[in-house]
Amino acid sequence: MIAFEHVGKRYGGRFDALAHLNFRVERGEMVFLTGHSGAGKSSLLRLIIRLERPSRGRILVAGHDIDRLHHTQVPFYRRQIGVVFQDHQLLFDRSIYHNVALPLEIQGMEPREASRRVRAALDKVGLLHRERALPIELSGGEQQRVGIARAVVNKPALLLADEPTGNLDPQLSADIMSLFEDFNRIGTTVMVASHDLALIARLRHRTLRLHEGRLVADEEAV
Amino acid sequence: MSSQGQERSRRGARTHRASAGGRWRSWGRHHRAMSLDSAQRLLRYPLSSLLTMLAIAIALVLPAGLWLALDGARLLDAELDESATLTAYLADRVDDGEAGRIEEALSAHEGVAETRLITAAEGMAEFQQSLGLEDALARLPGNPLPASVVVTPADTSPESVRRLAGELEAVSGVEEVRLDFAWLERLRHLAELGQRVTLALAVLFGMGVLLVVGNTIRLAVENRRQEIEVVTLIGATHPFVRRPFLYSGAWYGLGGGILACGLLTLGGDWLSGPVSALAASYGASFALPALGFGGSAILLACSTLLGWLGAWIAVSRHLAQIRPR
Ligand SMILES: Nc1ncnc2c1ncn2[C@@H]1O[C@H](COP(=O)(O)OP(=O)(O)OP(=O)(O)O)[C@@H](O)[C@H]1O
Ligand SMILES: [Mg+2]
Repeated sequence: MIAFEHVGKRYGGRFDALAHLNFRVERGEMVFLTGHSGAGKSSLLRLIIRLERPSRGRILVAGHDIDRLHHTQVPFYRRQIGVVFQDHQLLFDRSIYHNVALPLEIQGMEPREASRRVRAALDKVGLLHRERALPIELSGGEQQRVGIARAVVNKPALLLADEPTGNLDPQLSADIMSLFEDFNRIGTTVMVASHDLALIARLRHRTLRLHEGRLVADEEAV
Repeated sequence: MSSQGQERSRRGARTHRASAGGRWRSWGRHHRAMSLDSAQRLLRYPLSSLLTMLAIAIALVLPAGLWLALDGARLLDAELDESATLTAYLADRVDDGEAGRIEEALSAHEGVAETRLITAAEGMAEFQQSLGLEDALARLPGNPLPASVVVTPADTSPESVRRLAGELEAVSGVEEVRLDFAWLERLRHLAELGQRVTLALAVLFGMGVLLVVGNTIRLAVENRRQEIEVVTLIGATHPFVRRPFLYSGAWYGLGGGILACGLLTLGGDWLSGPVSALAASYGASFALPALGFGGSAILLACSTLLGWLGAWIAVSRHLAQIRPR
């Protein structure tokens, strides 16, 4: 599903945020991405959704070199990937329902079908009863779950999550991770960036460890 | 993986084809939704929206008003054309009887519609009367004025009048033919100047409208920056992001156009009294032409288009700068 070939990312001409990355993630896999703060986890995910372009090497997603996408194709490429952002990226002037519906609205989905999918996604993250609320009225954990609902509402083949359990309590973190495992079980390829080593260790999935922008360990699930 | 990928894209292609009609429908749906949404956003801040529209209206009123006035001047011009005459001054030695014969000769010319003879004595009387110099002139030893014939040409276009003048000058006994429409030509030059000035003003003020709308939309884009970043992150195309702003621009333009129509109507009413009084004092009947249905439609179409264009420029310039974090 994802293949990094000698990928490097240099910011500002002199600082290598990522270097010599080589790895593959197969379709249907669930992978954790870990490393210290500043190790390059977010940068790696941003490369995959083509928010940034690699300074060297190439990145294949579903067999396509994404650096070769024309800029008008990029939106259509991004629609196939669900992303849970480190800082939620919710719209605070519209309801939970409309936040989750946003990707479908962008694709121009017929409203009745969209509404069915939005409700299914909200139900999955346990927030169906809050659909009319505004994001500001929700707790941090609930906002994070809205972000997850928005990422999966489109049933993407690839789901990326950046620190989805950022500052949540252990119980909530475990709940959210098991949500990702549920999506993985129905065939979604999942990649989760996280610091939470204890939780990662408990979940037993393949783990990529970054250190100062280099891949220092690729541990298969035990 | 690659065979799976191909399978996926084949399936994608099929649903793609099957839903071409659906895509048009969803496109139409988004246009409807965005036109309503942007109108509602304008209504949410009625005062500032009104001020923007007023600024647009003021920029439109001046060129549109001038254009109307020139349109009126063209009508006036046509009316004056018909009063263009030539004056043929006869030689000093010509007496009244001969003058009558010359007048007949002139009126027989095919380019001449009408003639009127002014004998030397009549000319003197008219002159005295118009200048109020009866005493001074009465002291002159003889009448220095020649007899003259006022000729109304059949064809009043400037070239044929000028040609006629040359032909009449060749008639024996005619000393000189004067064209009375030199001032008319001056008026025409003025009108042409006016047209160019109007065009230049229209271009300048049109750019003013672009700037007004562009600035307003720039602020709107800035206010919705986060929203733009988010929808870009999750796969919105540039046209999708642009659309609500283009509609806002078009609404501003339309609103400004409507206000401009209103201002022009009010202004026309306000000026019509003095204008027709002034025209009447020159013996012409002239009324400021109203904008009318066609004129209003053109003005509204132009203003809406300008609003849309201003928004387009502002959004495009700005979108390039907005990159999701
Ligand atoms: N746009 C940018 N310009 C310059 N440097 C950047 C940029 N984005 C990231 N960096 C640098 O790249 C390095 C990796 O950043 P990144 O955000 O990927 O780390 P991270 O592993 O996600 O950290 P955290 O766990 O704190 O989120 C950091 O040193 C950061 O300062
Ligand atoms: Mg990060």
